[in-house]
Amino acid sequence: MSETRLQELYEEMLLLRHFDQLSMRLKLKDLIYSGYHPYEGQEAVAVGFCGALEKGDVLLSTHRPHCHAVAKGCTLEAVLTEMMGRVTGCSGGLGGGMQYLDPDHDFYCGSIVGSNLPIATGIGLAIKQQGLDRVCMCLFGDGASNTGSFHEALNLAAIWKLPIVFVCENNQFAEAMPAREFVACERISMRARGYGLEEITVDGNDVEQTRRVASELIERTRRAEGPFLVEALTYRLRGHYVGDPEKTYRAREEVDVWRQKEPLTRARKKLLQEGVDATELDAMEQAIEDKLETLREWALQQAFPTLEQATDHVYIPLAKGESTCQ
Amino acid sequence: MSVITYGEAIRQAYREEMRRDPNVFLMGEDVGRWGSLYRSSKGLLDEFGPEQIKDAPISEAAIAGCGVGSALMGMRPIVEIMYIDFITIAMDQIVNHAAKWHQLSNGKVKLPMVFKTQGGAGRRNSSQHSQSLENWFVGIPGLIVVMPSTPYDVKGLLKSAVRDDNPVVFIEHKSLYFDKGEVPESEYLIPLGQADVKRTGEDVTIVATSWMVGFALKAAERLAGDGISCEVIDPRTLWPLDKETIIRSVKKTGLCLVVTEAPAEGGWSGEASSVIHERCFGDLKQPVKRHCGLRTGIPYGPVLERQVVPSKDSIVEAVQELVTRGALIAV
Repeated sequence: MSETRLQELYEEMLLLRHFDQLSMRLKLKDLIYSGYHPYEGQEAVAVGFCGALEKGDVLLSTHRPHCHAVAKGCTLEAVLTEMMGRVTGCSGGLGGGMQYLDPDHDFYCGSIVGSNLPIATGIGLAIKQQGLDRVCMCLFGDGASNTGSFHEALNLAAIWKLPIVFVCENNQFAEAMPAREFVACERISMRARGYGLEEITVDGNDVEQTRRVASELIERTRRAEGPFLVEALTYRLRGHYVGDPEKTYRAREEVDVWRQKEPLTRARKKLLQEGVDATELDAMEQAIEDKLETLREWALQQAFPTLEQATDHVYIPLAKGESTCQ
Repeated sequence: MSVITYGEAIRQAYREEMRRDPNVFLMGEDVGRWGSLYRSSKGLLDEFGPEQIKDAPISEAAIAGCGVGSALMGMRPIVEIMYIDFITIAMDQIVNHAAKWHQLSNGKVKLPMVFKTQGGAGRRNSSQHSQSLENWFVGIPGLIVVMPSTPYDVKGLLKSAVRDDNPVVFIEHKSLYFDKGEVPESEYLIPLGQADVKRTGEDVTIVATSWMVGFALKAAERLAGDGISCEVIDPRTLWPLDKETIIRSVKKTGLCLVVTEAPAEGGWSGEASSVIHERCFGDLKQPVKRHCGLRTGIPYGPVLERQVVPSKDSIVEAVQELVTRGALIAV
């Protein structure tokens, strides 16, 4: 991959890193209300996979969705203000940080672990039956791979050969449950074999690798070779939520080891080795910080939804009157 | 008019809607090869092919989620859950997704889908294949809940449910599939959310749902011989409830019996009863009486299962008791 390409990917990861940090600061000031699920350390998955989708491709995400959403093309404004419960959010501020829908950008997420895999099968089915040139990507974590929904959906997608790329973003922890203790197989990608699919694992902290594999699998899915299940192995550097009791499930030293392997450090090191000027990268980072500061100031000015808005669209009014069909 | 079974009426509705709109499809366990457990889609696999009649594996969560995803993309799935007891596996998709996404998208996302299932006792299937679980869905904002009791109703309501842009939980009754009734030759729709007065009367209003409607009508016939005139109302849609039709009747009769197969506790029968008390208090000669299934698992076998849910005879007794009490107060 060319140096310019890596630099672009690095810039996208930087944006997500700083966006995540901004969100965390807002959470600590109680301007984000629900539990906030930090994304730090997993940026190569969002940029590599979500960023590889074309407009019109559908992305289903998780309860840790904000960086997936931005990488897919949702606006920073809509994603941030959704977390802050403002009307300008993706779901008008009614969903919050764990569940919102942005149909204009074909982005959907939710806070029930594993539930998006069955929905992906329906999207895949519709794409296939309607002959559309689109694919569906479904992200989920190591925890979701233990749900019945995961297994039901993988089987259904496989027997119907649906155009879906299932991406297991294995950050090694389901809340406080380490995957090494709570997932029966060594690699989650091994579960693909049970559905007659290839076993594919990528280094989820290597953005060049995630993007290359994502693009390849998306192309193969467009050629009706899907579905695919790929495991991207990464590491959750922060707690499940801001302030969770981390010491109950992992040692500080373990986190330190993985911090050395986190994707931004790696990408930056490589760029510098390839001769990119450090001041150029620093300037890039400063520009992102400035942009996010402007975003923050704007976001704080946005209104909250009213009770009327909160109770609107519960259902669509029914048609009236008995009729004979024409 | 032709006389057909409830199952045939469902088949006609499928056929008409699938011909009208190729986005309509039926998906579920054994809907194709078998033509559904009670044969309501018999022959349709040959007629419409596997894209519109999709046999699915025993994976209720996946089937329900597949419905949500395909509806999101503009298709109109009819998701069949073979027994309502199995809907427990699909509840997450129905409650957390289908019912929520229209609102979470500020009205942009529409999920035109039908969760079609069947419940109730009467076919000796015991407690994991005979439940009346409609109450759960009535409690979830975002869902329409329909329970048709006749061939005419099931056809007209199913067609409306397929055309409606809301997720609809459509609950048939396993003891009704072979019941016969008149259905027009020409195509028709019955609007969701509209009750039907199945029999007019002056002395007592009986509000009954699903399988209970037929027993209520038979009870009304018996009671007519004793000089008690019953009006029988089938709400057909449990939510939204056609309150006006029920209230109009109770204001006239002053006595009301609500009959459901589901146990009374925590149920729709309590909701219906509350609405009547709130709106007809001054007209009631007696508090509304509920006559419901016992709070028990449905026992196995032909004898006991009939004893734990209302019957013609038990409805007759309940009405007689209500009328007697009403008369005592009037004196």
